[in-house]
Amino acid sequence: MTAPRTTAFGRLHLVGAMVVTAMVGVLVGLLLTPVTPIPGVPEPDAVVRYGLPIARVLFDLAAVVTVGLNLLPILVGLTRPKAAAQVLAGARRAAAFSALTLAVCALIALVLQTAEVHPTRDGSGISPAAVVDYVVAVSAGKALVFVAAVALVSFGLSIWAVRSGDAVPAELRAAVALFALLPLPVTGHATDWRWQDYAMISMELHVLGAAVWTGGLGAVVVVLATNRTLLAATLPRFSRLATACLCVVAATGLFNAVVELGSVPGRSLVDSLFGTGYGTLVILKLVCFGLLAALGANIRWRLLPGVVRHQRTTLAGWATLELAVMGAAFGFAVVLTRTPVG
Amino acid sequence: MKRLLAVLALAGLGLFALAAPASAHNSLISSNPAENASMEAGPQTVVLTFDQPVQDGQGLNSVAITGPDGKEWQGGPATVDSNVVSAPVRELGPRGVYTIGYRVVSADGHPVSGKVTFTLTKDGNGTPAENTEDAQALPGGSGDEDGGLPIWVWLVGAAVLLGAGLFVALRIGGKSAE
Repeated sequence: MTAPRTTAFGRLHLVGAMVVTAMVGVLVGLLLTPVTPIPGVPEPDAVVRYGLPIARVLFDLAAVVTVGLNLLPILVGLTRPKAAAQVLAGARRAAAFSALTLAVCALIALVLQTAEVHPTRDGSGISPAAVVDYVVAVSAGKALVFVAAVALVSFGLSIWAVRSGDAVPAELRAAVALFALLPLPVTGHATDWRWQDYAMISMELHVLGAAVWTGGLGAVVVVLATNRTLLAATLPRFSRLATACLCVVAATGLFNAVVELGSVPGRSLVDSLFGTGYGTLVILKLVCFGLLAALGANIRWRLLPGVVRHQRTTLAGWATLELAVMGAAFGFAVVLTRTPVG
Repeated sequence: MKRLLAVLALAGLGLFALAAPASAHNSLISSNPAENASMEAGPQTVVLTFDQPVQDGQGLNSVAITGPDGKEWQGGPATVDSNVVSAPVRELGPRGVYTIGYRVVSADGHPVSGKVTFTLTKDGNGTPAENTEDAQALPGGSGDEDGGLPIWVWLVGAAVLLGAGLFVALRIGGKSAE
């Protein structure tokens, strides 16, 4: 019982680094996009202003971890050494817990979003009826309920996999985890109606790409770093997948940024990129992306040959740095989805 | 790699199945009175036109008219007709700059807020809304104030749920773990 637990949870500080930078990213993003009070109109209190983005970034990270852990059996492959069984058993427990975290974060975000549209002056709180009304009226509410339901299915599948091992198809677990990512971007602000359908599909691909890339890296490094045989077999496979994700994230991210920034009436693209809080966040995400590409290339060409030869490498350190930069990018992204352009 | 591609393709299919109507962030395209307008007599209603439909619902949208003296002059709750939000205005009082503040919920669930100012050039005979508390209750008007739970109660509930899940995930017996 104890062995798989320690393998799965032994390198949690890697995830911790990502959570911390994600929080920092959220706070920096909030400072860049201040809210000017409007006379006579109630604003949501600080719990909502800061709590909602934090809940949303924890939601994103839980989704990323869930996707990564559920993709892991596929990344490790079918023809794996016996040693893999114990490692993967630990990963299943962790996957169950992260799926439950995802469901809980979705429900917290739902409550906070209800509070956001029902600002009260006396802080009298949110009644369950108000939450139900929000779900009925607003599509983002329905999406969060849907995500929570899918996350609970993922939790159930992982618990089932803990009990009966490979009897649960790995593809099914991975597909359910990825499916939980889809509803929310549909309800976020896409763009000007002319480009709406393309922008929405592009946004979905952006989210899928980012989650598979980050989650895959995290799962491979956290769960497999101590097992050189498994790492040598898995990392090359992940590296190819990460390259594909990198291209998808870059292309879709640029497309969405251009469409969104170009949709501001009366402002040129360059003007809104350098003149608005939204534009600054886009620039910060571009910087993160540049760093990630460099860090990924470092792992791919400098460290990977050593990993394949079962040598001792500095992979864990570099991967921690990469996960930290990814966390910051997620933090900026959360604020970005909640910020109007201009 | 093949299995991975299959999973990703499956997720991609789900993407198209879920193609619900997405909405952009809403923004104000015009208003009556217009920004920086000046007039001798105050308007009966304020009309705000957005580029996307506004989410209609009890207490979701508020429009407030604040006078030069800081008092409030709206005459009742805002009404929504697709992408047009209108609110009645009381007869205005002292001349000066009035601010129309709005906070509406766009169809994607994001609140959008902003303001429009106009100038009254001649004193009116109106009186402001009774007191600030009442005036603010009007546009907000959330009828479900009672039965509200503070946010920490929700958070404690979430923590209990998570703790139970962690317990299950760690304690449950597994085939390969033995």
